[in-house]
Amino acid sequence: MLAFRSEAHVDRWCTARRLPRGAVFTLDQAWRLAKAWYADRLAPDWRRRTPAEAEAVFGSVGLRGSFWKLS
Amino acid sequence: MSAGFDNDVRLQVYRHFVDHGEPPTAAQVGQALGTGVEKAGAAFRRLEQDHALVLSPGTLDIWMAHPLCAVPTGFWVTTARGSWWGTCIWDALGIPAMLDVDGTVETACPDCSEPIELVVEDGALRPAEGVAHFAVPAASWWANIGFT
Repeated sequence: MLAFRSEAHVDRWCTARRLPRGAVFTLDQAWRLAKAWYADRLAPDWRRRTPAEAEAVFGSVGLRGSFWKLS
Repeated sequence: MSAGFDNDVRLQVYRHFVDHGEPPTAAQVGQALGTGVEKAGAAFRRLEQDHALVLSPGTLDIWMAHPLCAVPTGFWVTTARGSWWGTCIWDALGIPAMLDVDGTVETACPDCSEPIELVVEDGALRPAEGVAHFAVPAASWWANIGFT
């Protein structure tokens, strides 16, 4: 996942690199995703999330749809 | 070997990575836990199979202990606890999130190379111009975790 100055920069970069345009979302969503995903990583009882749990985290920050499906 | 031992190894990897800025070797983990390199290395491999660690291909060298990355990337993270490379922008922001500290992420727009600096302050992201882009759908991330 990369950070771009704007959505127009994403489009230009994807075209120039012949890469498909994936999912674009706000940096605030990226921050909230980071907090939701990593806040417990150092906990002694941490375990890998199930696909359904991971999708729930994505959805909690507004990342929904087929791009975010794991199950 | 028990899941409890593998979790001890995982926690030791993170402790070392956070404290030293680089991941430990299997020998260092084996010494710290008093188990020796072979058992620690076997745990590294099991943790990789469970996507809890990423090893450099064909080695026991830790490449990623998400969100921390052992090799230089386009994401440098500085906090009061230390500085590390993040694997991607999600992981770079995940470092202050994991450590519950403020910090700064330095990266650049891949399109125009303009620097982008993101500041986490008082537990919140300071408003900044820009967007995040995932090129690869979630279901395919682990097909090549080095490019998402």
